[in-house]
Amino acid sequence: MPPIIRMENLTKKFGNFIAVDHLNLEVEEGEILGLLGPNGAGKTTTILMIATVIRPTEGTAYVGGYDVRKNPDKVRELLGVAFQEPKMLWVSTPWDIVNWHAKVCGLPTEERKRRVKEIMEALDMWNFRHRSVHALSGGMRKRVEIAKVLIQRPKIAIVDEPTSQIDIVGKHKIWRMLRELCNQGTTIILATNELYEADVLSDRVAIMHRGKLLVCDTPKKLKDSIVGGDVVEIQFETDPSPKMVEALNQFKEVVKIMKTKSSTLRLYLNKVEEIVPKIMGMLMKEGASVSSIHMSEPSLDDVFAHYTGLTLEEAQKEGG
Amino acid sequence: MRQIINLLEHDFRNFFRYKWWLAGLISMNLADLFIMAIVYNRMLTPEITQQIKSYFNFFAPGLTVTGLFASAFMIGREVNMERRREIHQYMLSLPMSRWELAIGRVLSGGLRGMVYMSPLLATCFILVGFPSPAQFSIILLVLFFLAMGISGLSIAIAVSTSSLDKFITARGLVYYLLFFCSSVFYPFSLIQQLGQEGRFPMALVTFARINPLSNASDIIRSFLLGNPPFSLDMVVSVLVFSALFTFSAAFAYIKLIERA
Repeated sequence: MPPIIRMENLTKKFGNFIAVDHLNLEVEEGEILGLLGPNGAGKTTTILMIATVIRPTEGTAYVGGYDVRKNPDKVRELLGVAFQEPKMLWVSTPWDIVNWHAKVCGLPTEERKRRVKEIMEALDMWNFRHRSVHALSGGMRKRVEIAKVLIQRPKIAIVDEPTSQIDIVGKHKIWRMLRELCNQGTTIILATNELYEADVLSDRVAIMHRGKLLVCDTPKKLKDSIVGGDVVEIQFETDPSPKMVEALNQFKEVVKIMKTKSSTLRLYLNKVEEIVPKIMGMLMKEGASVSSIHMSEPSLDDVFAHYTGLTLEEAQKEGG
Repeated sequence: MRQIINLLEHDFRNFFRYKWWLAGLISMNLADLFIMAIVYNRMLTPEITQQIKSYFNFFAPGLTVTGLFASAFMIGREVNMERRREIHQYMLSLPMSRWELAIGRVLSGGLRGMVYMSPLLATCFILVGFPSPAQFSIILLVLFFLAMGISGLSIAIAVSTSSLDKFITARGLVYYLLFFCSSVFYPFSLIQQLGQEGRFPMALVTFARINPLSNASDIIRSFLLGNPPFSLDMVVSVLVFSALFTFSAAFAYIKLIERA
């Protein structure tokens, strides 16, 4: 089956700044593709180009076989977008916003009424439906934004940081609803900078940094692809000396050492079960005071760090 | 067409969220009419009084056009606010063509102006006089096209200005130019006379003659008061203005808003 979205050298420049740099990416029909990256990675700009809100500077994207440059009207008929920042006039009410959105998207009256009520109740918004948006919390406004797409049930849903500002219970509810939407046949592009969200929800994850696509695969394959995929994080009571870091580097199983905080080392290694006792023995012999040791399988943050040399948090700070 | 109707619903709902504010404004407009009529009637020179008889009767059609202008211009403020808050990105992502979106916004701005103006026009008819059905149709048609032109002008300004300050400044300049150089507040013959005496630039006299606000006010006056005499040029002037700004606004909306 051909991909439902195909991006070919998709590029967007704002003056001299390249927000998205020759992006080549395909989205398969019926999948949830996570676009993961720090702020400023180019996720939102990519989404805006696919949604025909802004025009690409170079390259193009095909959505459902339609070119975003040549057939934007056809492209928009397939899409539903939940934006990162809720796009609504603050004097409006949630009911007016979602009901009007459903009407514009062509839902028949009865079905529209039913779905609006159903989704608003599911998102715990029904009791607030006639309040002005300015009287709602940030999380509630975000729910209004995501409700639009859930009611619309488009062929392709684009959701940009769908659970930012939403409490943990709400997050799980929205994740479940997005998964249900996908099961009903909607392809979803999920732009996020939350690792856990990308990990649990995405069938595949495309990692972006500085406008470029670094890698795209299933979360499992991405994690497995890291040489030295096991991670041991050792927190010392004082700064580990360079000599100690050098000694750790001497273990052939240790692939890489990153200093994540002033007194914490993150070791990427193989055969964690065999090597950790040896490392502990060496550290005790050297008289190092270890306050904690933590072993884990690689996360998407490790995958990101593997490709960029930065943790997502560091890249976030760098991106502003 | 379905999407244009949806846009009208969207913009009218937002318009009526301010219903009490609008009611207040209409009351203020009517109060202005009575206050200005009383004060100005006593300030006019005998020559002017001879021309216009009663300032109340003269100003009532002008005030109707003033109200239409102010309310049709409101859509620009909303479009500008949408742009600043990036709500336009949502509008641009909706399943409708750019032309539907642009024409829908211009049309709703114009129709909102017509709704706001209705009580002012009704007051004008009740207190000054009623036109014949044919004259009434022409008045409504001219005011509708004028409202569309004003709505288009405001949208064109709204998408060309990046901040509220700039939009308000531009709006102020347009207000100043269009109202100062028009026959809304004073008869065109007076402007012409000042021009001939060298006390008013002739370029502005010409502008006042083709100004759609002058022509719209004078069309109502010609039907209700018989002066100035009705001419087809007045209607053409309003239609040209309307067509020019409606399509330039639609074009600006489509071209500029995607760059934001």
